[in-house]
Amino acid sequence: MEVEKVIETRGLRKTFRDFWRRPTVEAVKGLDFSVRQGEVFGMLGPNGSGKSTTLKMLLGLLHPTKGEIRVLGAAPSDTRVKARIGYLPEVSHLHPFLTPRETLMYYASLFGMAHGEAVRRTAELLSMVDLTQAADRAVGRFSKGMARRVGLAQALVNAPELLILDEPTSGLDPIGCREVKDLVCLLAKSGVTVLMTSHLLSDVEDVCDRVAILDRGALRAEGKIADLLRKPEAVRFLIEGLSSEAVAALRSEIEERAGCRVQLDYPAMSLESFFLQVVAQDGRLRTFEMAPFLRATQGTREGEGGACSKL
Amino acid sequence: MIRPPQNRAGARRMLQQVAAIAGTTLIEAIQQPVAFLILLSAVLTTLLVPVFQFHRFSEDGRLARDSGLSCMLVFGLVLAAGTAGRSVADEIARGTAAAAIGKPVSRVTFVVAKWLGVCGVVAIFWCGVLAATLLAERCSSHFLTLKEFVGSATDPWTLALSFLGVLSALIVAASRHFFWRRRFGVAAFAGVALSQVAVAAVSGFYNRFGELYPLHGEAACECGAEHAHAATELLLYHPELNLRVLPVALLVLFALAIFAALATALATRLQTGAALAVCAGVLILGLAGDALTAGAPLFSLRGLLSGVLPDIQNFWLCDAVAREGRVAWVYVAEAGAYAATCCAICLVAGCLSFRERDLG
Ligand SMILES: Nc1ncnc2c1ncn2[C@@H]1O[C@H](COP(=O)(O)OP(=O)(O)OP(=O)(O)O)[C@@H](O)[C@H]1O
Ligand SMILES: [Mg+2]
Repeated sequence: MEVEKVIETRGLRKTFRDFWRRPTVEAVKGLDFSVRQGEVFGMLGPNGSGKSTTLKMLLGLLHPTKGEIRVLGAAPSDTRVKARIGYLPEVSHLHPFLTPRETLMYYASLFGMAHGEAVRRTAELLSMVDLTQAADRAVGRFSKGMARRVGLAQALVNAPELLILDEPTSGLDPIGCREVKDLVCLLAKSGVTVLMTSHLLSDVEDVCDRVAILDRGALRAEGKIADLLRKPEAVRFLIEGLSSEAVAALRSEIEERAGCRVQLDYPAMSLESFFLQVVAQDGRLRTFEMAPFLRATQGTREGEGGACSKL
Repeated sequence: MIRPPQNRAGARRMLQQVAAIAGTTLIEAIQQPVAFLILLSAVLTTLLVPVFQFHRFSEDGRLARDSGLSCMLVFGLVLAAGTAGRSVADEIARGTAAAAIGKPVSRVTFVVAKWLGVCGVVAIFWCGVLAATLLAERCSSHFLTLKEFVGSATDPWTLALSFLGVLSALIVAASRHFFWRRRFGVAAFAGVALSQVAVAAVSGFYNRFGELYPLHGEAACECGAEHAHAATELLLYHPELNLRVLPVALLVLFALAIFAALATALATRLQTGAALAVCAGVLILGLAGDALTAGAPLFSLRGLLSGVLPDIQNFWLCDAVAREGRVAWVYVAEAGAYAATCCAICLVAGCLSFRERDLG
């Protein structure tokens, strides 16, 4: 069965122009890629490679110079389509005088949500992003990470089918990063399609099914992470509780029998896991709970476990 | 294919979007200290005119009225164009416009809602300055010939009440902010405007000499030829305000709505300062319109100007209410239609310009 393509671009180009309409930057140069229903798609690339520009074109914020875009089967400017998308911009653009609660109510009303429903979702989202304590302070004075959390909550207010996240973990503490990754995985499990960019390769590796690597506006590589990173000729054994004599014996045995070189290493905990363990001792680590209304909406995703099984 | 139920839901959603964007624009705008300073300057300038009147050519009331209306137009222009510029140009630069357009909000809805939000700010300002103008005229010295009084009378009580109103609005806003952490800017802006309206309403309970009603008509006031009160008539409540100013002020409000629309359209491409400068230029050329373009051939620069610029003279009828004159409501309605057309033209241009605009 053909998997439905949620996003599809063909020959996408964007040239920025100055006041006199002279071309200044060619930010995207003939991009072809597609994102399939239910997958977590990562977009990587150095600074200025055109990732954010591409996402903005998918949302109809920027007009492509050339090329074609279909998002959820329609043109990006279609407001009916935008009602099914959640977008977290690179920088959380918030109205400085509004509180997080007012901000979420504002965005909920842009989706035409009934008041009662909006109030309920706002409360659930605030608790999900851990901002209930700060819910009634103006966001203008928020720290970068707190503003990011408000941004993330506003992207989810409509229980989107397609979530577009531009560097979702930038500015977040390790706990926040981990929560975002958990969230992306949980959403993906409940059938939401996610397109995200990030500079943290480990984030992308942890949650994405497929990635595209952009450089200077062009696509350099695209595919499943496992396929891109596989070294077909290498094998790794992971054995716990082996004495050093047994290790030496095993090593010489293999080298003798198979006639190939064996490399030894002692896997350490990642710094992220260590940090989370230390913080958990203080009891600061809360159990992450996805907002109930997000759980209810989508059907569950069948089939493979995806990259999230690593988390 | 048209499916009515979906359309009704769509229309409801659009109204909700307009209300949300306009409401946020209004709150953000009046939260700005500069908006509050503009309102405060307009109200205080208007109220100070009767205090500093030195020429008594029995035109004091007119002087107060004219300067109140001028404040309304000039400060209102700065407020309308500045607010529109800030809330559109700055939001595009800051990215909050993109955040809204990333939701199911059409660009047309966004522009129209922004304009409505600015009109809301201007309307609150207008109410405050209109009330201050009416009060300033009442407090200016008038030559009265009543039963037991002949001579010039001022109304220091009302003037004191007006200033007290401004002061108490500030105190209330500050205490709300201190005790309940509510927004100062919003309460101060709305409070100052509201205080003037309240004083105007309260001033109907007493006459120029500070005597509380009920009073007998002849002793209470001199209302001019049009509705002189008989000596026996008992007045319970009698606002001694020159309500003939109302249609003139409404015309000024129409002009301000045009400037708000013009500035909104310009701000989709220009910075706030540039939008403000263009609006000021249009005001000056529009006021000079008649003199500038009288008798100009159609196909000339002057002819072109007269065709393109809104004729602001149509909205500036201060002199019409001098010496018991009146502005007909039919004229107000016609001017309203003219203003609505001008606003529509500006907004269509603004929407077209914004539709092509990259938000990134
Ligand atoms: N509004 C704009 N006007 C002119 N040039 C722009 C504009 N937005 C982006 N660019 C240019 O387009 C190129 C791509 O920018 P983009 O923001 O898409 O990069 P990015 O891949 O998201 O980078 P980063 O990883 O730093 O976020 C850059 O050279 C940038 O300077
Ligand atoms: Mg970027």
